[in-house]
Amino acid sequence: MLNKLLKYDLKYMIKNMSVFYILSLFFSITTRILFSLNETVMVKIIGQISVGCLFAMIVNILINTMMRSWIRFRDSIYKDESYLTHTLPVTKNDIYNSKFIQTLVFFIFGFLIILLSLFIAYYTKDRWLELKGVINAITTGLEFNTTLFVISFIAVVFLEVFNAIQCGFFGIILGYKNNNGKIGLSVLFGFVSYIVSQSIVLLLLFIFGLFDSSIMNLFTNNVLIDTSSMKLLIVLSILIYILIIGLMSILCKKELNKGVNIE
Amino acid sequence: MSNIKLLEIKNLNKSFDNKEILKDINLSVSGGKIIGLLGKNGAGKTTLIKLINDLLTPTSGEILINGKKVGVESKKIVSYLPERTYLNKQMKVSEVMKYFKDFYSDFDYDKAEKLLKDLDLDINKPLSKMSKGMQEKVQLVLVMSRKAKLYILDEPLGGVDPATRDYILDTILSNFNENASVIISTHLISDIERILDEVVFIDKGKIVLQSEADKLRNKEKSSIDEIFRRTFKC
Amino acid sequence: MEISFDNNIPIYIQLLEYMKIYLISGTFKSGEKLPSVREFANTFKVNPNTMQKALVELEGMKLIYTERTNGKYVTKDEKLIEKLKDEYAMTLAKSYFQGMKRIGLGKADSIKYLEEIDE
Repeated sequence: MLNKLLKYDLKYMIKNMSVFYILSLFFSITTRILFSLNETVMVKIIGQISVGCLFAMIVNILINTMMRSWIRFRDSIYKDESYLTHTLPVTKNDIYNSKFIQTLVFFIFGFLIILLSLFIAYYTKDRWLELKGVINAITTGLEFNTTLFVISFIAVVFLEVFNAIQCGFFGIILGYKNNNGKIGLSVLFGFVSYIVSQSIVLLLLFIFGLFDSSIMNLFTNNVLIDTSSMKLLIVLSILIYILIIGLMSILCKKELNKGVNIE
Repeated sequence: MSNIKLLEIKNLNKSFDNKEILKDINLSVSGGKIIGLLGKNGAGKTTLIKLINDLLTPTSGEILINGKKVGVESKKIVSYLPERTYLNKQMKVSEVMKYFKDFYSDFDYDKAEKLLKDLDLDINKPLSKMSKGMQEKVQLVLVMSRKAKLYILDEPLGGVDPATRDYILDTILSNFNENASVIISTHLISDIERILDEVVFIDKGKIVLQSEADKLRNKEKSSIDEIFRRTFKC
Repeated sequence: MEISFDNNIPIYIQLLEYMKIYLISGTFKSGEKLPSVREFANTFKVNPNTMQKALVELEGMKLIYTERTNGKYVTKDEKLIEKLKDEYAMTLAKSYFQGMKRIGLGKADSIKYLEEIDE
């Protein structure tokens, strides 16, 4: 049944997100074209507008993926549509997992669209080499394979944002247990659980630091630790985030399985 | 198997913020019956129905459907019509039909299509382009197009014109299959009482009477509507 | 026949009355197969269980009988239906005279009124 739930969750997101994807790609193309034309004043102005629109769309994709995930979660589990969701012959775990995967898929997809848009708008061989050079300069100092560094750095940012979204889910689950002030409490609980989860990440890093002095430097010196420990820090962060996200999702499902009270 | 009731509710209580909405509800329903859940507005009808459908969580007590607790298995055999419009309005009627077919193995797509045609409802129209009355008809058709064991209809006649009311009653009568039961909640008793086998009176969160409809008429020499008014003096 | 129900009287009793009239008037003839309970319920727009109850009563009065798997039939005993017709007509006649009596008219006057009615 999870695949069927997921089918409809993904359809909903496509319906609501595709306009931003299309606009983002559209403005990346106009940007590209306008900047390859002769530089008259008029073209320059329109070009700048196009760039502005492109970045507005990129921000839109990021914010909307987040907001839509929360709204969809709340609507199908606690609003009118929940009358259907909770009377389908599916488990609460499947309902949750479907939302979880939906969010994951659209974050990755949105991210790819953003990369593609930037690539279309700005790619030239020179710029690519320049960027590569900058990253190389950083990574050689860190004794890190370049590709691996880029991927793992993106992964950390990605997991961090994903954790924030899931904290939002948890906040909604807790907020909607109350009869009054559901939205306010959802935001509050979501925010608190985000702070708590971030503190746990730091706490785990600190505990690890007790055994590894290079990590401990992060807490004692505030300056960037010696270069070799960067690698360790990133790997450690990824593992800790995956752990936290896993635990949080178990917690969400446990609370959801206690039952709902729909207005 | 025969002694397992289709629906069995034992000592059910529900409170919100320490306010008791349902008090010690005991009710059992066997197959092949149409049961009227009758009570004034705010008596607790909808609360009881939502508890049976997992939309509310009991404070204490037990609900068994075909011998099993409320869950995936019970949802396979219960077809529920809420008292509100609840479908995703972005969807077309045909999409909602596919949705039902995807999730409910007992959903009869052709039957739904035929019933919607009888009602002159365009299945290629999104719900958002339909009036509330039309949406309610679509919902009734979807719910009655399942071959369920227990149909639970919450106020299916609320605010509809007499012609539609007759159509709804007909649809209910001609579509519920043998051995299945139908629970209909309403406060408009006179409209519906001729099709009821049993009546359950609910007031202030308590079940005050459960009886066969004709037995009650015989005993009190008056209509269920009349008896209801007398009992609750409204 | 126009079908309407009085909610004050048990529905199955009213159905029983309708069925009796069907038999007396010959809508369903002696020995004829009857529609199923469901079909009846659909025409009367009543609950199949209530319809079933009315049919059981009719069967108890021997006016209809069940052939094991084939369904229900009207009794072959035509005398029984004649008797029913007789009783029913008598009830109607009695209630007519009672009504006339209440407004002070005797039997002879009552019959005179009957004769004046154009068919």
